[in-house]
Amino acid sequence: MSGLRVAVTAKQFGTAPVLADIAFELAAGERAALIGPSGIGKTTLLSLIAGLDSAFGGQITRPPGALAMVFQTPRLLPWRTLAQNITLAHPACTPGRARALLDAVGLAAAADLHPEKASLGMQRRAAMARALAVAPSLILMDEPLVSLDAASSARVQAVMVDVLDRSGATCLIATHDHGQALAVADRLLELGGSPARLVSDRRLPLSRQARGDPRARADLQARWFPAPS
Amino acid sequence: MWAVVAAFVASDLLPGPLAVWRAFLVEIAVENYFGHLAATLARVAAAFTVAMAVGGAIGVALGGHALTDRLFHAWLVLFLNLPALVTVILCYVWFGLTETAAVTAVAINKIPNVATILRVGMRASSRDLAEMATVYRFSPWARVRHLVLPELAPYFAAAARNGLALVWKIVLVVELLGRPNGVGFQLHVYFQLFDVATILAYAIGFIVVVQAIEILLLDPWQRRATRWRR
Repeated sequence: MSGLRVAVTAKQFGTAPVLADIAFELAAGERAALIGPSGIGKTTLLSLIAGLDSAFGGQITRPPGALAMVFQTPRLLPWRTLAQNITLAHPACTPGRARALLDAVGLAAAADLHPEKASLGMQRRAAMARALAVAPSLILMDEPLVSLDAASSARVQAVMVDVLDRSGATCLIATHDHGQALAVADRLLELGGSPARLVSDRRLPLSRQARGDPRARADLQARWFPAPS
Repeated sequence: MWAVVAAFVASDLLPGPLAVWRAFLVEIAVENYFGHLAATLARVAAAFTVAMAVGGAIGVALGGHALTDRLFHAWLVLFLNLPALVTVILCYVWFGLTETAAVTAVAINKIPNVATILRVGMRASSRDLAEMATVYRFSPWARVRHLVLPELAPYFAAAARNGLALVWKIVLVVELLGRPNGVGFQLHVYFQLFDVATILAYAIGFIVVVQAIEILLLDPWQRRATRWRR
């Protein structure tokens, strides 16, 4: 199965160029983190890949099959319960399947809650369960852990890794958090400059299993992203 | 307080509650009080339904398409500011003193109001949720049912509430000018007779009915539509 092919030559907002000459490919099942400071254009690039914005120069080829996206805000329908939000993501998703997916992200007891009555962390996990409902070939995640406290962040990150393992989909995660990128991705794509370009493309020298060790990740982070002195 | 002031004034021009009650009983016994009330309510229901359907469709179209909005904005403003009396008279002149003309005149007065409120609702709809629906390939029907209608529900409720208040006032004018029955027609008759007690008997009866619709129908519906809120 083919993966994701991105070749964006130019993207502007009005007359202001925001992205230029960004080209990369992800193999089927590969997980990459799109890193860079806030405001650099990571969300914009994800929108182009998702097909939400077609006004750009270049070409993007998505893998055949369904697309799922975990947005920076969970974007659940507030007037539907968490379980209903999941069944709505795919016509073949039954209420039973939705509950099983919620169970998989630790939300079995919250299936009948409306999103506004759930915490942000719970909403994020529900959004990840929704992504699984479509059996995606490509998952895009936009800052999936932003605005969470440390405990919630750790929990949602564990769910995220589990969701990615279950799906086996190609995955691109936009994040400004290097530690988070090292914990979930096989490869780091770094955006920098103005307009944003791909300034580095590095594969992690650790297996997914080895990355489970926080010390190994901390060592790698210290080497790749040394703290400014 | 009403009874005290009426007793103090002691005039037929300000009858007390007891006099109004007696007038109400006489109207039930002698005139067809509930028949007139029913005729008015039927006109209110017809005009309200037409106005909500047509005004809602126009509002959604204007709020959803910038070009359509630009093209028809001036027309909307024109109809918003057209005096109700002008519309009523023109409808009677052009279409005759018929039931259709009466209902059309009332609906035309309400449609711009509904369209304006629903246009605001469409403009305020969430782009984030629309993008989510695109990514997850919602069918057009699913998009309408699960996204557009729930988003517009509070605006629809506001238009309905506001609309009912406007429609029943204009229906009385329409009846006064060109219908042979209804509360408006009866008010006209008793105005000519200077019978304030009967005028109040009709007015209070109608207010009670409209309040009942508000409390028993609109309130529960609005609560149901917004029960998901924290």
